[in-house]
Amino acid sequence: MNHLKAKGIFLLLVTGYSVILQSCGGVPEEMASNESSDKVLAVADVLTLVSEENDITRTLYTKGIVGAGKKQGLKFDEDWQDDEVEAGPLPALFLRGISSDIRKSDVPLGLYLGSDFPINASNKFQGKQAELFAKIKTDQKPQHFYEEDQKLYTSMFADLAVAAPCVNCHNDHKSTTKTDWKLGDVMGATTWQYPSDSLSYKEAIGVINAYRNGTKAIYNAYLEEIAAFKNDSTKPQIGNKWPSKGFYLPTAEVFIDSVRKLASYHSLEKLLLADNKKTTKTKDLASN
Amino acid sequence: MFSKNPLRKRQRIGSIIGITIGIIIYIVLPLKQTEDFLSLGPLNTGHEGLSCNACHTDAKGNLMQQLQSNIAYTFGMRKTKADFGTENVDNKKCLECHDRPNDRHPTHRFLEPRFKEAIANINATECETCHREHNDTRIVLKNAAFCVNCHYDLEVKNDPIDTPHEELIANKQWNTCLQCHDFHGNHIYKVAEKMKDTIPLEKIQEYLKGGVDPFSNKKKHQPLSEEEWLKMKKKYSVK
Repeated sequence: MNHLKAKGIFLLLVTGYSVILQSCGGVPEEMASNESSDKVLAVADVLTLVSEENDITRTLYTKGIVGAGKKQGLKFDEDWQDDEVEAGPLPALFLRGISSDIRKSDVPLGLYLGSDFPINASNKFQGKQAELFAKIKTDQKPQHFYEEDQKLYTSMFADLAVAAPCVNCHNDHKSTTKTDWKLGDVMGATTWQYPSDSLSYKEAIGVINAYRNGTKAIYNAYLEEIAAFKNDSTKPQIGNKWPSKGFYLPTAEVFIDSVRKLASYHSLEKLLLADNKKTTKTKDLASN
Repeated sequence: MFSKNPLRKRQRIGSIIGITIGIIIYIVLPLKQTEDFLSLGPLNTGHEGLSCNACHTDAKGNLMQQLQSNIAYTFGMRKTKADFGTENVDNKKCLECHDRPNDRHPTHRFLEPRFKEAIANINATECETCHREHNDTRIVLKNAAFCVNCHYDLEVKNDPIDTPHEELIANKQWNTCLQCHDFHGNHIYKVAEKMKDTIPLEKIQEYLKGGVDPFSNKKKHQPLSEEEWLKMKKKYSVK
């Protein structure tokens, strides 16, 4: 009798404990979206979208800041962060700065720049990237693949010589490995990586924001570098004006705002298109 | 009606002793004074004096929630594990104090597919590959000739040093790299142009084991101290 009573109490305790354990709730999972139905955007589409934003940002920086700035006497150097060097980041390093800042965010997006004739040997493509880059050089079409070892969805996009400063700087650089670049050449490729095959709107916006915040961070780092220049006469006036108007540089807000104006319409259209596709797909399924 | 079991007294004494030991452990072990006892080993160079919870920060949720989450994970009811007790110490944690804009070899650089073979030899994507904590040293690698993994085909134009890089590479003198080049690039110093003026290998090896810094005592960026880190954490913590 007593034995049965003890067993009953034990079972009651176990049940009670299980109920408490279940009802108190666990640690929330850190995932932007768990519902597969929310994942309306294919990873290749999102990476294409952000890569197009990157093309706009880099062209604006290369033409509007580096190209026009050089004519006003601004200097740009690969050792721009060295104390004794008073210069700004070259476009490739501007991109690396964006990439570093993205890595500091919680968005698992990877961005890299490489080439078959890089100035810095560590940026030379190898293995699969080198093979795919050979294809990109012939047709300029993006390459999307799944990197098995890293378990990352990867996209490579052609990086074109869009402005005279790209060609001139690379041809004249003391460490260049190729001296006959010309406008329109595929000078390299950007590689983008993301860990899942599809993204929700929230995740896609996270990717775009991470990229834009990266742009802001590296541009601000450049302005901070200027503030530390020893000679005041080498400091351009920072405000609303661009170097094409004189010895000026736009503030980070002005620069980013110009990127936004050029990129946002296209990005929004692409995001909306994914929703349209989803609606059509749902209708098709319903009619079947 | 029922006679008392003679073992009952022993059971009570046993329970009291057990509970007392439990309470003592619960009170004593979290004390600052017992940190050395709990530590896996002496902290690495520069980390002396840090509290355990500077790196081993409390995991999210209470014990019960962590337990529940991990049971749910075991039975496939959630996709990710939850940290139990303290958070995992990873790159992000290191970078909370050591992040700086001028790192010549930041860990994220090596995540790119092109470094796949190099990181199979040395996983440079993780701080702890070289700086594994609780080893009373600066870096844990036995041999600091790791540069070969990426720079094996290095060609230097306008080579500034009297013994050309080409010759050093041909002779596989990869442990000489650090005699001129500081891996993370945070020291302010003038690089020698003659091999005889470079930092002797013994001094480099001593430094890697936690000895005096032979590059320079001037650095471009200083990491946050524990107090500064706490202040930052407080300032930016989500409420």
